[in-house]
Amino acid sequence: MTDQPTPLERLIQGVLPENPVFRQLLGLCPTLAVTAGLKPALTMGGAVAFVLLSANIIVSLIRNLLKPHLRIVVFTLTIATFVTITDRFLAAYMYTMSKTLGPYIPLIIVNCIIICRCEVCASRQSVFTAAADAVGQAAGFTLALAGIAFVRELLGTGMILEFKVLPSFWPSWVVMILPPGAFLTFGLLMGLINWFVAYRSRNRKPGGNT
Amino acid sequence: MDYALDIFMIAVSGMLINNFVFYYFVGICPFIGVSRRVDMALGMGGAVTFVMSIAAFMAWAITTFLLVPGAPITRWVGSLFMPAAAAARIDLTILTYIVYIFVIAGSVQFVEMYVRKFNPRLYRSFGVFLPLITTNCAILFACLTIMSHIVGVENPSEIWGLGKSLTLAVFGGGGFTIAIVIMAGIREELDLCDIPVPFRGAPITLIVAGILALAFMGFAGVDAGLRQAISGG
Amino acid sequence: MTWVTIGLSAASLLSIAIVLTTVLNWANRKFHVDVDPRVLKVIDALPGANCGGCGYVGCGEYAEAVVLEHEAVDRCTVGGQSCAQNIAAIMGIEIGEVLPYRPVVHCGAHYPDRLGRSEYRGEKRCAAANMVADVQACTYGCLGFGDCVRECRFDALHIVDGLATVDYEKCVGCGACAKVCPRNLITMTPFKAERMLAVTCSNKDKGREVMAVCRVGCIGCGACTRASELFHLENNLSTIDYDAYPEDCTAEMLRACEKCKRHRLVFVGKPSPEDLEKAEPLEAPEVIKPDFHTTVDDTEWRG
Repeated sequence: MTDQPTPLERLIQGVLPENPVFRQLLGLCPTLAVTAGLKPALTMGGAVAFVLLSANIIVSLIRNLLKPHLRIVVFTLTIATFVTITDRFLAAYMYTMSKTLGPYIPLIIVNCIIICRCEVCASRQSVFTAAADAVGQAAGFTLALAGIAFVRELLGTGMILEFKVLPSFWPSWVVMILPPGAFLTFGLLMGLINWFVAYRSRNRKPGGNT
Repeated sequence: MDYALDIFMIAVSGMLINNFVFYYFVGICPFIGVSRRVDMALGMGGAVTFVMSIAAFMAWAITTFLLVPGAPITRWVGSLFMPAAAAARIDLTILTYIVYIFVIAGSVQFVEMYVRKFNPRLYRSFGVFLPLITTNCAILFACLTIMSHIVGVENPSEIWGLGKSLTLAVFGGGGFTIAIVIMAGIREELDLCDIPVPFRGAPITLIVAGILALAFMGFAGVDAGLRQAISGG
Repeated sequence: MTWVTIGLSAASLLSIAIVLTTVLNWANRKFHVDVDPRVLKVIDALPGANCGGCGYVGCGEYAEAVVLEHEAVDRCTVGGQSCAQNIAAIMGIEIGEVLPYRPVVHCGAHYPDRLGRSEYRGEKRCAAANMVADVQACTYGCLGFGDCVRECRFDALHIVDGLATVDYEKCVGCGACAKVCPRNLITMTPFKAERMLAVTCSNKDKGREVMAVCRVGCIGCGACTRASELFHLENNLSTIDYDAYPEDCTAEMLRACEKCKRHRLVFVGKPSPEDLEKAEPLEAPEVIKPDFHTTVDDTEWRG
């Protein structure tokens, strides 16, 4: 327990080095589904951030009362409660966005990221550490979603956040906002990030090949 | 005849046109994780279909009898405390997510225990997947789709009964199985290729999935054509 | 939201919870599968590498086989002697000594020693090259394309100047390399000592034919068989009987090594203290890793 990362370290780790989407391969369903536009992607990122933070705090508060074989059930129920709150909030205040995101908000309940963070961090650490971890992971998740959505929306419609960015002669690559575009963008971006990580670690090693 | 046509359309659209993996993006985690070998992929697909059918049945039962406004149990209990007209309007759909996840987890656990006891061979081939499937998006997604059709969100005139719900579950699971088995077959061949190092593992799988999604897009519009062919000309 | 609705919500959640818990408890008792507690203890005793060296898919499967089907307790090559004894203690049986098995590559020819090598432009895999004629003149020896290196999960095999070489400090003895070599050059040998004598050749042809294909292959002259009883000639190839291998190296064995004109009798194993001392002042060369090497680069049409 002495060499556990500090809360600040956890926060920074969650953004890029242990990015939940690109490095840990968790939470892939919303990553592909809601990244057709930048606005839905950011909304989903915000929703997951709220649920993750709340669930982590609650689980961390009750961590001493958990029986081992009932852990997952308790985590899931906590997350389901917060997702219900989020879903109703979005339906009330952001109705069109709620319709766009559709069934993917309730699917946050089974999002592997949140259950994984509860299991790995919140059920063992104090509230502050769990909260920092949640903020870091949520930031990483939102960054990943925004990155993919940026590429897809730009190439698919020539617009960013409904502002026309690319000139009118750009033939919108409609495939980018359709399902195949999601898979392809995600796969290519992941390959790029893997290459970048390998490049950085190669350069760090003494005598490595640049 | 109309009902049979509806069932057929739901089956075709659930399996091919709106394929759970390539159109709705649910079940991606097992799709990438378990699609290394064809026999494992088949086991996973079978397990998902099985669990989806059970979960769909439970979801339909609970939604129809407990959660929707006018559900029998709710109306009976409510009429003990308030006039019958008001009792028929009690809406418990706010509990949907919690109840569904509870019920799915419970029934999967039950099925796992049953299979482990009475069919050890079957348990060895797909029993290990069952806990993984509990938190799988595909199951919850199927249940939520069924619920939205029972509640009549999109099409208030067309409320789904048990038949249509089970059809969606079984054929949706079948579509997932098709997707994962195709992916496993391709990945077995990919193992022999020399893939650039950054793309090994998940990235190349996703790119192949993208190409497969392109192929499955070819099914779009088939439902309208089929409906016209069967009912019209 | 009236109180009735709230009450109904709570009541329905509670009743579902009670029903589910009751059903699951009943199922737990009715569908109980007796798991022998010894299986869990054996799993704990095993190293948990899931390497498949025992012949089973994972440590869990091997544990079940040991407890339920009376499998031998010394199949785990990674755990070795101590693990076998732990398992034997759990099962309540006695075992004799368990030897670690390690791979021995029965070829000693590096690129300069191999005669008749041609420019091979096919798929750079031993399995593929083995099917093509004339990649190198010797049809018994190591091809050097590294199927064994790719198979090893513990980074214990490397191709050094065209010859597969074992790093005995990293090797755990899972046997994957022996299974994958298409020319069956690697055999799993019981290591009765830290360094074992081995015949690093597999060429079964007669003297002159061997010399035409390799500068260092065993010609079957029989000098080692005359020096020590440990060796005998089989198919023009010197072979060591490892069952009769003594624990300590005898003078006859050392004389046989000297007598071998082709220097095929070598000691393989972890480096001895003398070797380490000799290597101390030397500097290790820089490891050069290729960039984004794909098969397209190897098979590019150069017409």
